[in-house]
Amino acid sequence: MTENNVLIETEKLSKNFGDKVAVNQVSFQVFGGEIFGFLGPNGAGKTTTIKMIVGLLQPTSGSVKVSGFDVQSQPLLAKAVNGYVPDTPNLYPKLTGRELLRFVGDLYEMDRRQVDRRIEELLKLFDLIDASDDTIDSYSHGMKQKTAIAAALMHDPSVLVLDEPTVGLDPKSARLIKDILRQMADRGAAIFLSTHILEIAERMCDRIGIINQGKVIAIGNMDELRSQGGGGGSLEDIFLELTGGAEYAEIAEVLG
Amino acid sequence: MAILQQRRISGISLWRSIIKLLRLRLVIFIGGFRRSKLSRKLGWIILGIIILGVLALVFIGSWFLLRFISSPELAQYVGKPSAFLATVPVIVFTATFIGILLTSFGLLLQALYLAGDMDFLLSAPVPIRAVFISKMLQAILPNFGLILLFGLPLLYGLGASEGYNILYFPLVILLLSAMALAAAGLSSLLVMLIVRVFPARRVAEVLGLFVGLVSILCSQSGQIANWTDVSQQQASQAFQLVSQVNSSWSPFAWGGRGLVGIGQGHWLIGSGLIIATLVLAIGIFFFSLQTAERWYFTGWAGLQTDTVKKKKRHHVPETSKGGLRYLSSYRFIPASTVAIIQKDFIMMRRDLRNMSQLITPLIFGVIYAVLFIRGGGQAPEGRGQAPAWMLEAFNNLMVYGNVGISLFVSWTFLSRVALTVFSQEGRNYWMIKSAPMSSGRILTAKFIVSYLPALSLGWGFILVISFLQHAPLSIFVYSLLVVTFCIAGLTGLNLFFGVNGANFEWQDPRRMAQGGIGCLSSLLSIIFLVFSLGLFFIPPFLFSFFLLPGFIGDIIGLIIGGSLCLAVAIIPLRQVRDKIPRLDEN
Repeated sequence: MTENNVLIETEKLSKNFGDKVAVNQVSFQVFGGEIFGFLGPNGAGKTTTIKMIVGLLQPTSGSVKVSGFDVQSQPLLAKAVNGYVPDTPNLYPKLTGRELLRFVGDLYEMDRRQVDRRIEELLKLFDLIDASDDTIDSYSHGMKQKTAIAAALMHDPSVLVLDEPTVGLDPKSARLIKDILRQMADRGAAIFLSTHILEIAERMCDRIGIINQGKVIAIGNMDELRSQGGGGGSLEDIFLELTGGAEYAEIAEVLG
Repeated sequence: MAILQQRRISGISLWRSIIKLLRLRLVIFIGGFRRSKLSRKLGWIILGIIILGVLALVFIGSWFLLRFISSPELAQYVGKPSAFLATVPVIVFTATFIGILLTSFGLLLQALYLAGDMDFLLSAPVPIRAVFISKMLQAILPNFGLILLFGLPLLYGLGASEGYNILYFPLVILLLSAMALAAAGLSSLLVMLIVRVFPARRVAEVLGLFVGLVSILCSQSGQIANWTDVSQQQASQAFQLVSQVNSSWSPFAWGGRGLVGIGQGHWLIGSGLIIATLVLAIGIFFFSLQTAERWYFTGWAGLQTDTVKKKKRHHVPETSKGGLRYLSSYRFIPASTVAIIQKDFIMMRRDLRNMSQLITPLIFGVIYAVLFIRGGGQAPEGRGQAPAWMLEAFNNLMVYGNVGISLFVSWTFLSRVALTVFSQEGRNYWMIKSAPMSSGRILTAKFIVSYLPALSLGWGFILVISFLQHAPLSIFVYSLLVVTFCIAGLTGLNLFFGVNGANFEWQDPRRMAQGGIGCLSSLLSIIFLVFSLGLFFIPPFLFSFFLLPGFIGDIIGLIIGGSLCLAVAIIPLRQVRDKIPRLDEN
């Protein structure tokens, strides 16, 4: 990780849906070579922030830069270096896995021979070779998730944004994803991932940002988060300390 | 005693559960109605008024029918009216059974496999039978209501006109209900048998295509039929064919004959036939119910036997393929644009849910082409008073009627494709939106996806009709050019509305296009077509009128009309180009 190699940078990023403020003045940086975990309770604004980073949503105010390119004013350059895995793997159901990967390769204007080679590599890596000529509507959720990740890796992006990447994956595939992400980061890519599984975030991420009610309330590595969160031990303790855990008392009351 | 009491309690629990489940559906429907937009609420209210209107019409129709039954005109066709009258209940029961069997298939497929609530319902403390009965009732009720709407006035009218016994009237409802339940039971088994072999979603797609085709063919077959030439013999044969359903081996005939027997006071034979029908219908229903429960609960109905061997696509490296990629390899079209075009054509071909809507214009085209060719496509001979130039110009205009048909067919197809070419991306649009593609390239891809098939269709019709009519080569070429330009203009216009009305949140493909946008685009397309065809054809017509060289008129027509078409193809798209990056952000 190099401090001067900022690959994702948000500056006072905000998004309003009517009167509702989904993301409120969010600013952070993600460096090349690091895995950045983005945590927050449901509805905190994680997915909205991610969608603004990858150019799916226009910010109400503020800016996002990816690899130094402004996502609003230089969208094509920013998107060309980005890879994105959404929270729900919505993929064209009537394309086969192979056709989908080729489609993505062509969208990124990749060289044709490189597309063919990359498809074979990714299908093997994700154990999708046998199903590669079946249409995606016959895939299980886990297979769709792996196909979506393979699609994001097609053009070998220097910035990878993943929204809940391990949901629906079996332990072997989840481990594979973690290894891939670490290798990509080691080769200098910036990995930005949101997850609800705090153990994954604690073990994988170099730095973590916590968002609550649209605002980033804590950011840093585990030690820095511990000091911000009042000295709690695990990430779970810190997370609950920062985002509030009053609902657990209500659960105990209901179940008791 | 204890067993009897337990059965009684479980029986009460069963019916309570059924009522609860049906009430849940009602609550969901009322909730959906309350939360819906005002336009949708108004739509439901208008639908209710239309149904009431239909009810009134059926009553009036029945009244007329009853008068007609005793008329001498009918006797000409059917021979003895009393024999035909005895067949009416049999026809209604047969129609009810077959109608419910077919129509509940799709509804049961949705309710049992695609609704996604079966696991939730079966894991709840509700008897499994209650779940199945409520699902079957849900599948029957809408269509049964429709059948009652038409069948009841008819059968009651028959009973009233023939002075049947009072018992006839409640028995009509009882028998119709039993028939509907038996049909739904068999339909549920049919659904499970088919889904065991084919995936449920695929079955739903094929069914959608089939229903679409049948409804289009039924609605349009009247255009080809020559009703004015129906002979008395043909009518008699038709009635005899209908009367054949009243054969003594048919269970539908037992019910119908039993009803007539009861109505006429033949108690023994009437009650015997009715009891036999009821026992059979209820027996089928319970057998189906138990079998469906067993198949579902044991997992039999959920496992596909995979008897159909999957056809393995032989993978050919893309670098060795030709086709559209040829264009991108020579930099005519960027690879990303070609990728979208290829993807859309594959989706269009493989997604049968859209296919029925795309085949509609083809059927329209064939029908109208047949009508046009049957009409001769020539100007009427007249009595010799019309001047020669007028007859020639008129003949030319008739030949240009080919262009009209061709454009009509292409437009029907195009309006469907171009209006939904963005919406059809649905929730997958993020893949294109997050890719480094400019709005211009996306629009170009979508333009080509809409334009090329419509153009092929238009050219195909021109070619076939011109060949059949032996049209001169010059007119054939001129027609091709006019169609090429006009379809380009239509594509630009319809794509403009396709972008403005893009809806990415649909579940049912029929909801891809928004109604208002569709109406507006149709209206403007018609205005554009009339205006542009005027510009194409008026110069040749005038040149013909003033006895000037025809080809100059053709060239002027092409320049003026073509310019308008190109302007309409390009300007609206420039207007919506800035909207593309902001699509799907609501």
